[in-house]
Amino acid sequence: MQGFVTFIKKNKQFTVFAILAILVILVAVLAPVIAPQDPYASELKNALQAPSSEHWFGTDKLGRDIFSRVIYGARTSLTSALLLVVIIFVLGTLLGILAGYFGGWVDMVIMRISDMMVSFPGMVLAIAVAGILGASTKNAVIAIAAVSWTKYARLARSLVLKIRHKDYVYAAVVTGSKTGYILYKYMLPNVMTTLIVTAATDIGSMMLELAGLSFLGFGAQAPTAEWGLMLNEGRAYMQYAPWMMLYPGLAILIVVVVFNLLGDSLRDVLDVRDE
Amino acid sequence: MRKLKKLATIALTAVMAASLLTGCGGSSSSGSDDSTGSGSSSSSSSESSSTLKFGCLNYSESLDPANMINAAWANSRYGIGECLFKFNDDMTVEETLCDSYEVSDDHITWTLHIREGVKFSNGNDVTPSAVQACWEVLYANEEGSSTPTKYMDYESMEADDEAMTLTITLKEAQADLTMNLAYPVFVVLDVSVDDLDLDDNPIGTGPYAITSYSPNESVSLAANEYYWNGEVPYDNVEITFIDDSSTKAMALQSGDVNLVENVTTASDLEALESDDNYTVSIAQGVRCGFAYINQDGILADDTLRHAIMKALDDETMCEITVGGMYTEGYSVLPSGLDYGYDELTDVDAYDTDAAIALLDDAGYVDTDGDGIREINGENISLNYITYDSRCLTDFAAAIQTTLSDIGIGVTVNTLDADSEWNQMVAGEYDLCSSNWTTVGNGDPTEYLANWYSKSDANYCNYANDEFDAAYEVLLTGFDEDERTEAIKTMQQILIDDAAVVVHGYYNSSMIADSTVTGANIHTADYYWLTTEIAPAE
Repeated sequence: MQGFVTFIKKNKQFTVFAILAILVILVAVLAPVIAPQDPYASELKNALQAPSSEHWFGTDKLGRDIFSRVIYGARTSLTSALLLVVIIFVLGTLLGILAGYFGGWVDMVIMRISDMMVSFPGMVLAIAVAGILGASTKNAVIAIAAVSWTKYARLARSLVLKIRHKDYVYAAVVTGSKTGYILYKYMLPNVMTTLIVTAATDIGSMMLELAGLSFLGFGAQAPTAEWGLMLNEGRAYMQYAPWMMLYPGLAILIVVVVFNLLGDSLRDVLDVRDE
Repeated sequence: MRKLKKLATIALTAVMAASLLTGCGGSSSSGSDDSTGSGSSSSSSSESSSTLKFGCLNYSESLDPANMINAAWANSRYGIGECLFKFNDDMTVEETLCDSYEVSDDHITWTLHIREGVKFSNGNDVTPSAVQACWEVLYANEEGSSTPTKYMDYESMEADDEAMTLTITLKEAQADLTMNLAYPVFVVLDVSVDDLDLDDNPIGTGPYAITSYSPNESVSLAANEYYWNGEVPYDNVEITFIDDSSTKAMALQSGDVNLVENVTTASDLEALESDDNYTVSIAQGVRCGFAYINQDGILADDTLRHAIMKALDDETMCEITVGGMYTEGYSVLPSGLDYGYDELTDVDAYDTDAAIALLDDAGYVDTDGDGIREINGENISLNYITYDSRCLTDFAAAIQTTLSDIGIGVTVNTLDADSEWNQMVAGEYDLCSSNWTTVGNGDPTEYLANWYSKSDANYCNYANDEFDAAYEVLLTGFDEDERTEAIKTMQQILIDDAAVVVHGYYNSSMIADSTVTGANIHTADYYWLTTEIAPAE
């Protein structure tokens, strides 16, 4: 307990953003409790109503409660963004470590594939992938994962290369440690810190990319409550029913800022160089 | 010396300051021009009082009527060419270049008298042989989407320039050829010129003539000095192609154009309607918005179809969801046409409770608690394909949410127009958004073939012998009352069978700023730039 208090005192910024991030996650988890109405229940006659005490954020073109949809949107956006980050984190790290440790043709193959991916503009390739696979949240996650894992692979590879030829690694090899054990006990811990910080800062940008794809019609499909999609639905009403774009936009802004700053402060916490 | 330098510096500074000020003056005066013109945008009127700037959607990359049907429409819409007849707002036909005609008893031989004294915009006379020459070029190049043969399949054509008559002998009798001849594919153009270029410079008899044309960008027109039917109100017309509806509305608001057609975003249209600086003309056109029901699938079930019809609130969808862009209705033919709409009975008027009762009574209930009813243990899940045009996606979204309320699952797939069409032809759908011109040539025969079981155009696998029998009356009968009666019967059969989800009838619009008067939209979608549109006093 004492240690916990000291940690909080020492990392005030991190604590604040961690609490905010937990709040955001709580909103997503408790959406059915928080949302006053069913986000999918439409009342066609109540379309495009301005914010009022009944509908805090107004209603959309099908008369659905925007506040409830924004709250439920947190579920879609958060789960897909977190899932995406986990996928690229695991995949990228694994491939990067393998490439760095084994070198040779393994390194060649993995890194050339990664070079290929890097040479495409990410969003455009993601649009192409989503276009081929069909538009859905799942395919948007696959599309962005396909172009985003390379960052982790390159990072992990370079970190592994830094220690690959250290004496203690050779010592482990000489003493007969299994390759799997070396990878797990020596390589992984060395790359973990940097990659976790990268992953934390990536949550925000991945959320933006997913919302971007949904906005363009390549991600979540109607009637899903998803912020990017809601922005697109509100686009035609920008001048006359601005609340349709304002609140989903604010939601994206707030959540992205919280996770970005959380990633930044996490770096301060984990980065040993500052100490 | 130093004094001189100083003087020179001062002089220079003064000159620079003065020139700067003049610059400011220039911009500020033009700025004030803009500000007085803002909203009403009369900035152009001071320079040349009779230039009309028109913003519209471009449908065609060419102006050759033989090439694409949209090109034929463009000739008519831009006021370049005219047909022998034209449609009035009640879709009856009025004589224009043809001033009288005679028809043989068997409806095979049609003798058309061409109006005397009419000239093309290059000064050449419009004679029966000129009309014949034009149509021969049209038929000789019949390819792509222009299908004149479908409207007039002739055995022979004979021009008598003395008597000013064109005699057409048809292969098969037609009830009323004049309606087909009013269809823009039969626009009369001068094909006698040496450097004939129908793609870029068709020469017609309309109030305006082309001065320059850049496909996909703009068209410049000048008044046709030989115009036969009254004075041409504008010296020049500049047409700018604007594809996006909101952009069109904004171009009008900023004064870049004075006139636009069909603002299809309900919110933009509403804003323009509520602003006194703009006049908005809205007309119930001849287009019907509907969704095909594929009867080769789960929707072959009568109960399910009737329940769907009862569940849909067309009035709210038309008035609120799409903001009045459609007029509600339950028949496949617009209520504004003279096909007995008022005598039809809507057996499935909006009644959610009745819809639910219908499903419950048939035993289509939700047993697994997922909110979706099942038929034979399978969830009812409809595949609704749509495309983004004329508010069709809005209808799809509204129908999706309405049906989910009564326990019918709907997946909406928004495709591009071509993919949607292909998927429809392949029969891979349950509901398929469409927006059809119902009486393009003044008669719904072609359109009603959508439900005629022996037609190639029947993509919804609908078959009803009574409907087929009534349809065959249209194919062979000439008696006007008999035809109207058959059309009425067919409409009622489709309603009784719940054969199609009718959304409503699309309203076309024409919006002008205060510098323009007489900007009306017509029922037939072929007439945009008419001589009614004139500078405001």
